[in-house]
Amino acid sequence: MKIPLFRRGSTVPLLALLLASAAAFTALKGATDRIARAKVPGSSIIYVPSGQFLKYAAFGYRALAADLLYLWAIQYYSTPTIDDRFDHLDHIFAIINELDPRYQDPYEVGSLIAVQEARAAHDRRRDDALSVRLLRSAFAILDRGAANNPDQWVYPFNAGHIALMTLKDFALAETYFERTMKIPGAPEFVERLRANAMFKKGDLKTAWETWLDIYKRAPDERTRKIASNHLYNVKATIDGAALEAAAARYRERFGRFPADLATLVREGLVGEVPKDLDGRDYVYDPAAGQVRTVISPWKR
Amino acid sequence: MADAIRIQDLRKTFRLGFIPKPRPVLKGITLTVREGEIFGYLGPNGAGKTTTIKCLLGLIRPDAGAVDIFGRSSLSPRSREELGFLPENPYFYDYLSAREFLAFTADLFGLARRDKEERIARLLALVGLERAADLPLRKYSRGMLQRAGLAQALINEPKLVILDEPLGGMDPLGRKEIRDIIVRFKDQGKTVFFTSHILQDIEMICDRVAIIVGGRIVKEGALSDLVSERVLFTEVTVAGVAAEAFGGLGESLSVQGDRVLLKVFEEAKVGQVLDLVRDRRGRLVSLSPRTETLEDIFVETVTRT
Amino acid sequence: MKIAAIAGITFKEAKRDRVLYLLFFFAALGIAASRVLAVLTVGDRVKIIKDVGLASISGFGILMAILIGTGLVYKEIDKKTIFTLLSKPLHRAEFILGKFLGLVLTLLVMTAAMTAIFLAIVYAHTSRIEAPLLVAVGYIFLELVLITAVAVLFSSFSTPILSSLFALAFTLIGHLSWGLELILRKMGPGAGRTLVRALYAVLPDLENFNFKTEVVHGLPIPPAIYLSSFLYGVCYTAFILGLAVLIFRRRDFI
Repeated sequence: MKIPLFRRGSTVPLLALLLASAAAFTALKGATDRIARAKVPGSSIIYVPSGQFLKYAAFGYRALAADLLYLWAIQYYSTPTIDDRFDHLDHIFAIINELDPRYQDPYEVGSLIAVQEARAAHDRRRDDALSVRLLRSAFAILDRGAANNPDQWVYPFNAGHIALMTLKDFALAETYFERTMKIPGAPEFVERLRANAMFKKGDLKTAWETWLDIYKRAPDERTRKIASNHLYNVKATIDGAALEAAAARYRERFGRFPADLATLVREGLVGEVPKDLDGRDYVYDPAAGQVRTVISPWKR
Repeated sequence: MADAIRIQDLRKTFRLGFIPKPRPVLKGITLTVREGEIFGYLGPNGAGKTTTIKCLLGLIRPDAGAVDIFGRSSLSPRSREELGFLPENPYFYDYLSAREFLAFTADLFGLARRDKEERIARLLALVGLERAADLPLRKYSRGMLQRAGLAQALINEPKLVILDEPLGGMDPLGRKEIRDIIVRFKDQGKTVFFTSHILQDIEMICDRVAIIVGGRIVKEGALSDLVSERVLFTEVTVAGVAAEAFGGLGESLSVQGDRVLLKVFEEAKVGQVLDLVRDRRGRLVSLSPRTETLEDIFVETVTRT
Repeated sequence: MKIAAIAGITFKEAKRDRVLYLLFFFAALGIAASRVLAVLTVGDRVKIIKDVGLASISGFGILMAILIGTGLVYKEIDKKTIFTLLSKPLHRAEFILGKFLGLVLTLLVMTAAMTAIFLAIVYAHTSRIEAPLLVAVGYIFLELVLITAVAVLFSSFSTPILSSLFALAFTLIGHLSWGLELILRKMGPGAGRTLVRALYAVLPDLENFNFKTEVVHGLPIPPAIYLSSFLYGVCYTAFILGLAVLIFRRRDFI
């Protein structure tokens, strides 16, 4: 005689109970999910302790803790409903950096988030205080990246780029680019960016010398052309500034701008009328007293 | 009237271990216990006695075969309504007192409150635990635990009592008491199914026995059918007579000082030995006839298989 | 009532478990330590006290549920006391339910004790008995009930250590399964998505019982969620217990 696996009498109700309860809890889960619950986004942030402490609390799993915190941070910063989410940006990324100093992505992404948001704060919200604070965070993150990874040129490079393009602190940009150039493997265009930063800073003499140096050492025609354009631009800027200053002095004396540039020589305000790098005359606008080149320096 | 226990072609194979290796424990047990008898279940260790009992109690699901208790399948909890069970080496909640433990088992049968108290008092008296009734079970000796176990097995006034090694670990006095209780069950019309390795106990109180060896019943029947009244041989110890004098009358087993132990196989020769002793002015020290015992049958069966 | 008798004996046994008191001690310590932590913060101290207190009740409650839940059923089998029980006219379902209810009763007492300490400390700071906190505690208890059922399920066929790990894994999965929703949003349609969707529907979602944040911040809780979360817990528990009975009925006790 065979013993049935289950005694049918009580197994059928039991299986029915199992199926019914499974169906019920699945349906209820859907129903519960549909009920919108009030959330306090980012309320957890005050419990993120310092990296120093976390380093020990994570036992041997520091890198994993860094990964998890990084993943969380990305979600956190892409949640637009948390208004004050940028208040702790440097703190949070400092923790991630402390946990895993050689983890490269957080430095790049963290500084990127900071810069993006700084721009948005400046352009859209007109909140310059926040903008400046965020930019400072971006530099702090990149400085940590550079300190922890002295072999990586991207951190000072990115910092220089931010200083040049966003903060428009050209002296700062110049120092960052200078630092970048000293790291083996840094691309040669950093040198040009540095020269550009010098030019924008207003240090035209050094800019001229640097571009001239680049021009002489140029390994290929393209670089030579770029350097040449910059030299043209630097010279045009120096000449233009001198002519316009003379024109302004002329106006102080006679109450109007001179009719042409030769007048300035006659009045002894300039020694001679300079030509541009290609030997052409500058174009003078007597109504505004302004000087410009015949063509754009970048379209020669 | 239904038989108390009917087991038909019961089979069970265990698959244990990380890589399950089938180990057949019961290879087709068939036996019947009639109502009102004391049934002894006998076998060496590992023969399948406890497994059979666990199938009876529904603790183990058989692979094949049927087990009925008073006509109800052992797979149904209702089959255990008129059954009492004493496990081998009983383990109970050791922080409970005997009284609390009995109250708990009474609740499992859903006894009414008044019945419960009356029955607990009676059972405590029956097993002789009245004075220790309020001590926690962890302070009990093995024998006392066995008595507590017997009391809980009787809480529902069962018609069938299953006892796994009920006399194990008890002092001789305690053994006699339990034995007396078992015999009294029979007077009360209860059926008793019990296992034991102490053969004299089975011999003394059983109506019928079954011997299980290696998962099979090798012998089953009324005790009187299995054991004959025939005298196998007589052991005679005499003093003051030289062993050589008995040549031909019996086998001389040992000589100690002037004492001789003889094994005499024919009853007629016993008289001749006694005559010889009287003639030689020797002294008769002891004389005991050995009839066939369950042990003989058991040893014979076990060694044969 | 047979189930009540088994529940009673389970409660009595659990009361004697030293692990329970050890965990209770730590929970009380945690709740009390919230006062110390609160000193360190700038701003709302009561918030930290409530956060840490509720977390202690829930965390140590879960540990209690798992450790005594897996321990007691296994002990019954290991010490062979179950032979005496199951040789009575007792359905195995009655045994499982009795054990479960006894454990739930134990946890009820423990949760009540922890909550009393918690409310007393909050009262010391705010001089108010805050009823909404009880809502959070109530749903924590519902979660403990479900976890107890899981502990009973696993210990009906496994050793205490494995069962504890399984039950702990269940709890972790239950608190992380909402992450699947994030993954679902980023997945393209296909078999993988269907699988994740099915997993998301079936895996326990213990966040449904988590009202800690709402209660601490005094946010409105939509009334409908009380009922649906409660029913969700009840149905999930029924399912787990049904599964436990199904497995336990087939088990041999050697």
